[in-house]
Amino acid sequence: MAVRVGVAGVGWSGFAPTTPGVSYKELMFEAARAAYADAGVDPRTEVDSFVCCSEDIEEGTSIMDEYVPDQLGAVQRPVHTVASDGLFGLATGVMLIRSGVASTVAAEAHSKASDTVSTGRVDRFAMDPVLNRPLGLNATTLAGLEMRRWLHVTGRDESECADVAARNREHARSNRRASYADIRDPSPLFDPLTREQAAEPVDGCVVLVLTEESKAPAGAVFVDGVGWSQDAPSVESREWDRAAAAQRAAAAAYRSAGVEPGDVDLAEVDDTYAYKQLQHLDSLGLNDLDPDRVNRSGGALGEGHLREGNGLARALACIERLRAGEGRVGVAQSWRGVPSTSAAVAVFRR
Amino acid sequence: MSQRVAVVGAGMTKFVRRAQETGKELSAIAAREALASCELTLDDVDAVCLTSAPDAFDGVHRKGDYLSDGAGAWGKPYMRTYVGGGSGVFTAIQGWYTVASGLADVVLCVAEEKMSSCQPHPQAAFITIFDNIIERPLGPNLLWIFALEMQRYMQAYGLEKRDIAQVAVKNKQNAAGHPAALLGQADITVEDVLASETLAWPVQRLDVSPISDGAVAIVMASEEAARRMTDRPVWMQGVGWNLDTTYWTNRDLVYPEYVENAARMAYAMAGVDEPRKQIHVAEPYDPFDYKELHHLEGLLLFDRGKAPEAAADGVTARDGDLPCCPSGGLLGVGNPIAAAGLMKIAELFWQLRGEAGARQVPGTPERGVAQAWGDLMQVGTVVVMGNDGGPLTTATASPPSELRATALSESEFRSATGAVEQRLDTLYDWDAGEAMGAFLDGLREERILATTCVSCGRTLVPPRKFCERCFRPTDGWTEVPQTGTVETFSIVHVTWDMRPLDQPQIPAVIRLDGTSEGGFLHMLGEVAPDDVQAGMQVEAVWKPLGERAGSILDIRHFRPVDPELRRELVAVAAAEVAEPSKA
Repeated sequence: MAVRVGVAGVGWSGFAPTTPGVSYKELMFEAARAAYADAGVDPRTEVDSFVCCSEDIEEGTSIMDEYVPDQLGAVQRPVHTVASDGLFGLATGVMLIRSGVASTVAAEAHSKASDTVSTGRVDRFAMDPVLNRPLGLNATTLAGLEMRRWLHVTGRDESECADVAARNREHARSNRRASYADIRDPSPLFDPLTREQAAEPVDGCVVLVLTEESKAPAGAVFVDGVGWSQDAPSVESREWDRAAAAQRAAAAAYRSAGVEPGDVDLAEVDDTYAYKQLQHLDSLGLNDLDPDRVNRSGGALGEGHLREGNGLARALACIERLRAGEGRVGVAQSWRGVPSTSAAVAVFRR
Repeated sequence: MSQRVAVVGAGMTKFVRRAQETGKELSAIAAREALASCELTLDDVDAVCLTSAPDAFDGVHRKGDYLSDGAGAWGKPYMRTYVGGGSGVFTAIQGWYTVASGLADVVLCVAEEKMSSCQPHPQAAFITIFDNIIERPLGPNLLWIFALEMQRYMQAYGLEKRDIAQVAVKNKQNAAGHPAALLGQADITVEDVLASETLAWPVQRLDVSPISDGAVAIVMASEEAARRMTDRPVWMQGVGWNLDTTYWTNRDLVYPEYVENAARMAYAMAGVDEPRKQIHVAEPYDPFDYKELHHLEGLLLFDRGKAPEAAADGVTARDGDLPCCPSGGLLGVGNPIAAAGLMKIAELFWQLRGEAGARQVPGTPERGVAQAWGDLMQVGTVVVMGNDGGPLTTATASPPSELRATALSESEFRSATGAVEQRLDTLYDWDAGEAMGAFLDGLREERILATTCVSCGRTLVPPRKFCERCFRPTDGWTEVPQTGTVETFSIVHVTWDMRPLDQPQIPAVIRLDGTSEGGFLHMLGEVAPDDVQAGMQVEAVWKPLGERAGSILDIRHFRPVDPELRRELVAVAAAEVAEPSKA
């Protein structure tokens, strides 16, 4: 019988387009302090392992794990980096606890996107250096290509994507973390993708404290299922008309949680681009979920996109809704953005 | 209770200075050999774990995604973890928890490094490992910090270079028996090491492991699956990892506490309470010769400062009482960083099955320890592995057997189709933050500011908004004297890309008077290299007011307090920062 993993605490900081005068370390410290306070734990003695999610070139620092322990209370403790989105870090926390090597784990992911002057260049360096980069295209071009193919194959309409953007931004009005509730700009970006259908980056940090069931507080939200998967990294051989990795990740997460899509009460899914929300809902088998129960936070379109922290932002919103009694089973899903094809899913239950 | 996990297969490429193969291809070669070694295919694999060190080597952002198909991860759960140089051993830990958690039965772990893509020298990738605000402006390189640590270790225990060099000799001789080795040399002597080019005193060229390309893979399985696959599983008995503070100049470099912490974690899990009796073979991390000694002490296999003596007595030789790096280690086999760490796990697997051929340690070893290290001399990763006991099976063949990886010369690479040249020209504008911002403002005003923590009573330079030990906000600011003590230093003779310097540079860790411990990295000037000593009193020399910009370079350098020791300026404070590649 697998050990059940609960969410003992959540903390966040930032969620603003810029955070001038505050370093990424200080953003992390603020979020970590809030999470530990929420969990009622002292990280110096009661957190057994720390997982941080970051990518070097995003940060402008090689071997980024060098720069994380101090502000997390993790000095001379087990710390490692997952070079991926924060939801992969959450999955890692679940594995660490289920393996018995830790009973309480902190999972962290952050964005200091405002430090990066040349974001487009960073994303471009995620493209294949031999075949794709020499073409000189902005990496987001891939989103335009994928959206076109997906619309063509599924018969969905661009207006549905526009509706997603409008609804998420409307949802964002009641979210204190949201910075982009008022964006209305239908001008083309990478046609058919429009500017208002693409999430804008924000600075911020999310920290979750996970713990084994015996230490979880009364009424805790549990992480009952996790799944993650990878599709082809190559532009030349990937599937362009569905989110295959998200589908496999969801299947694994549902299986381990013992739930069906019909059991899901609310979802926070990746909406880096509006069409991705629809594509991801399809992959998660959640097309029939009430739209007002999807990305009620406003998603990344409304809150802003936390780069590798986006998955934990989705998880945070999901956990908050479940804690508020708005449902029993919630799903959070992430995708790493262009040109990646990797996805992760977590099933939460209260 | 988690399930037992075994290593059931391993494979690797040859380690070479410059591989014709791409990183994906190197990964695929190692992965295929590891699977073949236990007669599995990718269909049998539930999840793939990958590691690779800085993305800047390959010039590929999200390198994990990029390498995924080469690592066999298409359509599978796949994750990349890393902890700098500790990554290779950590990947085995990642594989362990992936299986032990019950989320997978069979896992493929792949460690890849292709350092040669980074031009003009892989050191360029390391420039961006240093603190973006207070260290990178000084133009540091990796050799500096290892030289600083090596100097501190030698000084603390009164060691001579000869005591250190014997490790390089042992490992390069051991590697002569490794078919994948880049720098195996049976006839190397201590004199050869001592005569090699001085890079950053006390580091000489043969003290250092070679830049390399390569990949290693292992297959792990749950106990039930492992029993189906092999009658010689090698068990993952214990895992441990530990990361020390970012503020490496604030701690005593003489001893790797973080390695001890990681070792204690792994030993406790493995039920090892007397490691000197219960560990029969060791693969400590040896990117530099002194590091093997440093790490053997951190692994609690020798008393502090006593590993050199044991090495001199032959204890760590392949036929000694505690064979260390029988593979030849990084110094001999090569150092494709992440791959080199997993190579140590593979070596233990082969040693504990009796398959190591010419490298096989004598007797019937039942338990071994592998360890890696990295970051800012900051992380320890440790794995304890063991067999079921009894006599080792006599191997019919000595793996690794498929020794692919095609070595290219520089001219062959330059003339080949596909030598695609791109500059990683990303631009960052970092917020120094509240604490470091105030520190830089202070420098502009010719003041050195520290934060204080009333809980632990420390005065902190570099200052931070939080106390990392007490995990609470710091309490206030204080100005500290502009004088201090040289904790350790190096005499640097080469630039970051290994070109000779006209005049040596003298980086040092300086403990400022009035601070609680440690100090920060800066340069010494107005002193002859031969006159520099650990413990020397120094003082800050500032740029004129009009030239100060709120930068660590507002301090031009530190010079001896004793006027008798001052000379004409022989080393400049700020090396010209020819930063070729932002991370």
